[in-house]
Amino acid sequence: MPSGRDRATAVVLGIALPLAGLVALEIASRNGWANPTFLPPPTAILATFWGIIASGSFIGPLAQTLLLLFTGYGIGCVAAIVLGILMGSSRPVFNLFEPLTELLRPLPKPALLPALILFLGLGARMEITIVALGCFFPVLINTIQGVRAVEPTMINTARTFGHGTMAIWRRILLPASAPYILAGMRISLGLGLILVVTAEMIAGSGGLGDSILSAQRTFLVKESYAWLVVLALLGLLLTWLFTWVERRLAFWNAPQAQ
Amino acid sequence: MSVVTNFRPRKTGGAAGAPVAGSRLLVDQIGKSFLGPDGGAISAIGSVSLDVAPGEFLAIVGPSGCGKSTLLQVIAGLMMPSSGKVRLGEQDVTGEPAHMVYLFQQYSKSLLPWMTVANNVMFAFNHRLKLSNAAAKSRCRDYLAMVGLADFGNHYPWQLSGGMQQRVAIARALAAEPQVLLMDEPFSSVDALTRLDLHSLILDLWGQKRFTAVLVTHDVDEAIFLADRVAVLTHRPATISEVIETKLPRPRHSIETRESPEFLALRHRLLKYLLARNQDGAHA
Amino acid sequence: MTQAVWDPGARSLPRLRVSRWRDTRATGVLLVLALLALWEASARFGIVQSTNWPPFSTVMVTLVAGLGDGELMPLILSTLWRMARAYAIGCALGVTVGFAIALSRPMRQLLLPTIELLRPIPIPAIIPPLIFLLGLGDALRIFAVAFACFFPVVLNTFAGVRSVEPVYHQVARTFGVPRMTALRRVVFPASLPFILAGLRTSLGIAFVVTIIAEMIVGNEGLGNYLVTMQFAMKTSEMYAGIILLTAIAYLLNRLFIVWEAHAIRWARLAEAMGGEPR
Repeated sequence: MPSGRDRATAVVLGIALPLAGLVALEIASRNGWANPTFLPPPTAILATFWGIIASGSFIGPLAQTLLLLFTGYGIGCVAAIVLGILMGSSRPVFNLFEPLTELLRPLPKPALLPALILFLGLGARMEITIVALGCFFPVLINTIQGVRAVEPTMINTARTFGHGTMAIWRRILLPASAPYILAGMRISLGLGLILVVTAEMIAGSGGLGDSILSAQRTFLVKESYAWLVVLALLGLLLTWLFTWVERRLAFWNAPQAQ
Repeated sequence: MSVVTNFRPRKTGGAAGAPVAGSRLLVDQIGKSFLGPDGGAISAIGSVSLDVAPGEFLAIVGPSGCGKSTLLQVIAGLMMPSSGKVRLGEQDVTGEPAHMVYLFQQYSKSLLPWMTVANNVMFAFNHRLKLSNAAAKSRCRDYLAMVGLADFGNHYPWQLSGGMQQRVAIARALAAEPQVLLMDEPFSSVDALTRLDLHSLILDLWGQKRFTAVLVTHDVDEAIFLADRVAVLTHRPATISEVIETKLPRPRHSIETRESPEFLALRHRLLKYLLARNQDGAHA
Repeated sequence: MTQAVWDPGARSLPRLRVSRWRDTRATGVLLVLALLALWEASARFGIVQSTNWPPFSTVMVTLVAGLGDGELMPLILSTLWRMARAYAIGCALGVTVGFAIALSRPMRQLLLPTIELLRPIPIPAIIPPLIFLLGLGDALRIFAVAFACFFPVVLNTFAGVRSVEPVYHQVARTFGVPRMTALRRVVFPASLPFILAGLRTSLGIAFVVTIIAEMIVGNEGLGNYLVTMQFAMKTSEMYAGIILLTAIAYLLNRLFIVWEAHAIRWARLAEAMGGEPR
């Protein structure tokens, strides 16, 4: 039971390090110990960041990145959950698809970018596809694991009461394997963000990845750091959002899947 | 089955064979309470005082959950008491005392699985005595031989049966040559025959080394068979309600001693006492 | 979902052979072979536009040729060496910091929030700004990969050290083992399963991020090779590269698993035989 003082110490210590780091950078940069051209003082970066926010110029790239991310993420997750449930609950289906998925899983998904660019160009279709492909596998693996972890007696009991397959899916399999699926979806979200940003950097056709790389290429040093802050905040926000959603969806589960 | 000599000790001289000098163990009004789930204090131990002579074998009996393990851990210095103190000889116990070893109830978990049996035993003394490799190994082999496991040094603990694991734990504890050996229900999870074997083993080793032994158990037969004195612990908040001298002749024999009229009388008396206390003393 | 091997009510013979056939991955392997055949056929007969779609056989020939004539090997070694250095740095830091925050509450309060704050940053995003500080070469790429590797290791190490059986600590204490020795001989081995799990995850991440870094900056390594081949429309080489990367990733993971199984064989076996023996 942490006392008020303990919690205060914790908060102070927690903030101390980033704060000290920023102060150190500020001093180093302003005094010229670190080259201010290459490492602007954090206050200047913050000012540029604020400029991006205030002028609204972040909205376009952010919207594009988010749209592409969530579209790909949605497609990948849904496909993975469906196939995962099928594979997890039916041996024949598992045997049919497992060699294929095991072959494709180790493939580092960014390696597919050049191939996808050749086929789908540099636009939205390519980016959505790479995100979907990348998000697919972690969710698939975890879904299969989750479905397999469901007690067979639960399913058999439902069967004896005459529940049909769809009902069993909806009311037993999905809720029981939810923690696993959510764990996979969490991994996929992080992975998807990485992939969409990478794709944008390589394709150069808009989005936050493009913004940050263009800033670097045109030697807008402060801007490139500022866009990094934008992306860092986005990453943080998505993580918190996911935790929030997860808590509301799987509230009945105490132990977490590892 | 004759008895005390099941595990014939190797006659060795030097450090591994000599008995350890003893000090008096004084437990002075020990109390221990924990924070309960509702924030209030739960008193596990009310006030316990014991005076254990050097080389004595003391058993502490009580029903499950009455704080026996807690008491033993406080004595061992693994836990700090809420009140009172423990003294070994001239020194107050404020941490793990150098000459006291605690033998765990979960013996299989107390053996480190990444180490061989031999390494586990050497773990007890290697850091303290700067012995050469050969000397350390030889000492280790002596103690393993004492418990009848001389050939199992290179095995891993998880390759052994429960009884054998407990013997390794005993060998390890003794290899540290403690003045006081504290045993926390060490024989409760082995089968009955193995338990008899281990009883004989402990008595044999104790007879040889003459360390002070404090055994905590819920098994009245075991307590009477092994000990010089038996202390009875009540439900929590635990106190010593009675201390009985067994006054049974030594050496003790697995079968004969247990059938002797003195033993049976003690057993009768203790069981009656405990059951009566159980009726009116039990909380929750 | 088990199929009855023999249905006593059926009029036909027991379907033993059919059931066992179903239980192997034969169908799956057939599927893979069928897809490869489809790839080959569609490319050879021009069903899909031929420039971007070389036949599978051509790709394999290119791959073998590339390995044989010394074009691919230097690239493989370049990527692996880059990855190895970054992996080592990331893991060493991760384990050290993991221990520090597990063993010391002030350390944890100091460092863990920052770690949790830095973790969600998408790794490609840190690359462009750091170009100004670290240039376009290995320093930058290795930093990025080490940064990405750090997090799974530190968090797994943290969890591992914290989950060490309390009994182990007590054993060290009752024998009066000094703290450093106890860390080395008890806490570290006991938390090894967790630590190795973190190292394995990190290995996969290291490989992927190395490829990403090579694709974004510089002109070295297999990542860059892929992008270059795509640009030059040398599709066979590009696909060969993809297959090569997959094979390397698979091998790395496999090798690690084999090594891990050996390193902590006591953990598996102890668990298998363990718990409270009766």
